[in-house]
Amino acid sequence: MADLLMFHGQECPFCRKMMPLVERLERETSIRFDRREVWHDEANAELMRSYAEAIASKCGKQLRVPTFVNPETRDVLCGSVEYEKLRDWAVKPS
Amino acid sequence: MKKRYWRCFVCNDIHYGVAPPELCPTCKILHAYVEISADEARRILGGGPGAAFAPEEFRAAIERFAAGNEFQVNPDREHVDLLIRGVFENEKSHGLKFCPCRLRTKDWEEDLKIVCPCNFTVHETYKGVDGGRCWCGLFVRRR
Repeated sequence: MADLLMFHGQECPFCRKMMPLVERLERETSIRFDRREVWHDEANAELMRSYAEAIASKCGKQLRVPTFVNPETRDVLCGSVEYEKLRDWAVKPS
Repeated sequence: MKKRYWRCFVCNDIHYGVAPPELCPTCKILHAYVEISADEARRILGGGPGAAFAPEEFRAAIERFAAGNEFQVNPDREHVDLLIRGVFENEKSHGLKFCPCRLRTKDWEEDLKIVCPCNFTVHETYKGVDGGRCWCGLFVRRR
């Protein structure tokens, strides 16, 4: 399984709140996240834009962070969520 | 409808909209607006006071903005400090006070929708939500 993408912003408080949950999920499972900061790295921003259609449909028609993307299925989880919701989304089969 | 720029011929008030105001809100003169180019509007707006808007001035401005509304600036100071830092980083790097919790699409009209403060009152995180907030949590509904 490919690494899941986490798009986040350096100055986004909800992105920061998600970081410990992402780290915990990595500790407790074999799931890995590819963390991409989008406001200070244009290549990461372009990568996020390449998923614009999939993201916007789940994120109020906008490119919001934090957003998680499964690059294989293009499935998207938008926003700051509880650990269990993140885990259930991340372990969904491709 | 396409928005255009308008200048009050008496006091140089600048308006950006599909039509000019009938009454200039600054000098109260009727039918005072004449259409101008975007470049002219930028030159007029860029030369005056307030060119350098410090973070504390921005904080004061959004406090005044919220005072007349059903929402307030989030009382979580640390949360707000980080957001304001992001807003100013984005202005420095990308030209406008873009929300640090969204990404610009590079479509100008779309991206104007994420300039802080945005019109969050129509968003699903706020509209009809008890304890609602804007996406980034800069503004929260008053209790």
